[in-house]
Amino acid sequence: MFFSSSKYRKTFLKSMLFVLPGVAITVIFVIYPVINTFWLSLNDWNGVATSPVSWVGLNNYIKVFTSEKFWNSMLNAVYFMIGGFVVLMPVAFGMALLVTSKIRFTKFFKASYLMPVMLGTTAVGLMWTFMLNSDFGIFAQFLRAVGLGDAVINWLATPTVNIWCVVLVNEWMYAGYNMLIFAAGIVAIPGDVHDAALLDGCTGLKKVIYVIIPLCKNMFMVFSVLCVTGCLKAFDIVWAMTNGGPIDSSATPAVLLYTQGFQYKLMGRSSAIGIILLVLGLVLSVLLNNVIFKQDRE
Amino acid sequence: MNKKVGSDKLKKGILYIVAVLLAAITFLPLIITLLSSFKTNEDILLGMFSLPKKWVFNNYPSAVETANAIRSIGNSLFVAVATLIATVIIALPAAYVLARKPYKYLKGVYFLFMAGVMVPVHSTLVSISKISSSFGARNSYFFLILIYVAFNLSQAIFLFTGYIGSLDRGLDEAAKIDGCGDGRMLISIMAPICKPIIATEAILVFIYGYSELIFSLILISDSSKYTVSRAMLNFTSNYTTSYGPQFAFVIMSMIPMLIIYLLLHEKVESGILAGAIKG
Repeated sequence: MFFSSSKYRKTFLKSMLFVLPGVAITVIFVIYPVINTFWLSLNDWNGVATSPVSWVGLNNYIKVFTSEKFWNSMLNAVYFMIGGFVVLMPVAFGMALLVTSKIRFTKFFKASYLMPVMLGTTAVGLMWTFMLNSDFGIFAQFLRAVGLGDAVINWLATPTVNIWCVVLVNEWMYAGYNMLIFAAGIVAIPGDVHDAALLDGCTGLKKVIYVIIPLCKNMFMVFSVLCVTGCLKAFDIVWAMTNGGPIDSSATPAVLLYTQGFQYKLMGRSSAIGIILLVLGLVLSVLLNNVIFKQDRE
Repeated sequence: MNKKVGSDKLKKGILYIVAVLLAAITFLPLIITLLSSFKTNEDILLGMFSLPKKWVFNNYPSAVETANAIRSIGNSLFVAVATLIATVIIALPAAYVLARKPYKYLKGVYFLFMAGVMVPVHSTLVSISKISSSFGARNSYFFLILIYVAFNLSQAIFLFTGYIGSLDRGLDEAAKIDGCGDGRMLISIMAPICKPIIATEAILVFIYGYSELIFSLILISDSSKYTVSRAMLNFTSNYTTSYGPQFAFVIMSMIPMLIIYLLLHEKVESGILAGAIKG
């Protein structure tokens, strides 16, 4: 009876009307493209609408997994990850400790450290490309001034060195961003804990290691998930600094996907990389989330 | 006792030094880029780490002229603002229904939006490029904005639904008793109450929309429609010999964001934090 009443039907339909635009856009521009990309990854296609799309089965995946370029791009993603955990995490956590400490001007420092995120990835990438220029950049100039002119190389054109330059610029840009995450964790520690630590004579570095870090565990987990999934997606900063070159040496998987698809017109292979990225991202975040879940239960 | 005070002062001193050092590392590249934008080419080639020998100001007009700097910044501002308005208009009603209505199908809808968070944009590039050519939508801002909205909706709906869910239902009930329908409820009650979270989301979408690169790379080929990231990359790879205007363009591209940051930095901080923790 209630279900057939017209008033119920009216509000029910209205509720559908409210969610419909969002659902439509998500289905058309996110869900359908993923399914379509999966289908394209099983075909060969050159990206021209009138050209034939021909079925090749798993061939694109085999080609991707046997190509040196792909594994090199995965290695670059791993470099991003290593940089994230070895450089970004300690720096961001240190910044968080600073801006939550009892020194003055913490607001100013906090705002300063976060500023690079606002500048736009492309602008940051280009800015640092100039800094790293081997003719007139600040590093070249500095090394020449202290008599180490021989150490000046074209950093962004040397394999492995170039990807590390990009990784470090990425850390420069995102240190403040991750500082916010850690600072939120530190601020959330209740005052009694600080009092208790003080009573027990636990201060300084000891307090950081035995009190603050364990209580910020969740924030480290958030950082890990963001870092690991972010590494697979790194594109803008690499593209702005090196275009993935020379000869794809600094390409991350996302950059390789772009060059394979939109420069070499290998849409099938590009799609295959896209699906691999999607699956890998899902698997890694489920894995990390389960680690969190497990630790929370214990 | 005195010894303790001394060591505390020392510790604080070290903290200050580290804090200032980190701030210096943050600002140095920006300052050097700014200085270089006032140098002649010969002056830049002598080394970036010095004040301009002669301050020149024509790098800026030159960037505006050859790289269409102002136009591309305008394009990006337009796209970013349109994206944030569209995202809020589409996400808020959906979030209201998701947070307040009991229908079963809504669980599926919520799941759909949250699944959207997991999809990296790169897994959709080839298909979206294909869709855009079959609709003849290359160089169309409308299409570009729809895509930006699609990839910001999940976050917007997540934040809005959480916010509305935390509001007291008594307010809704009171409005309902006064004969307030869903539409009015949304416009005259929910929208004003949700202002803080709308501002948070708007800032996140704006940052994204202003500096987005990859979709504008594959969808926009008409150089008068280039967004700022695209125009900058194009400029630096085509005019490799004249550096001054390139520095000027990079600085100009940062100005809108820096103004927003100066005015709203606390809002930006809380917004970025809310966006980061959602995962």
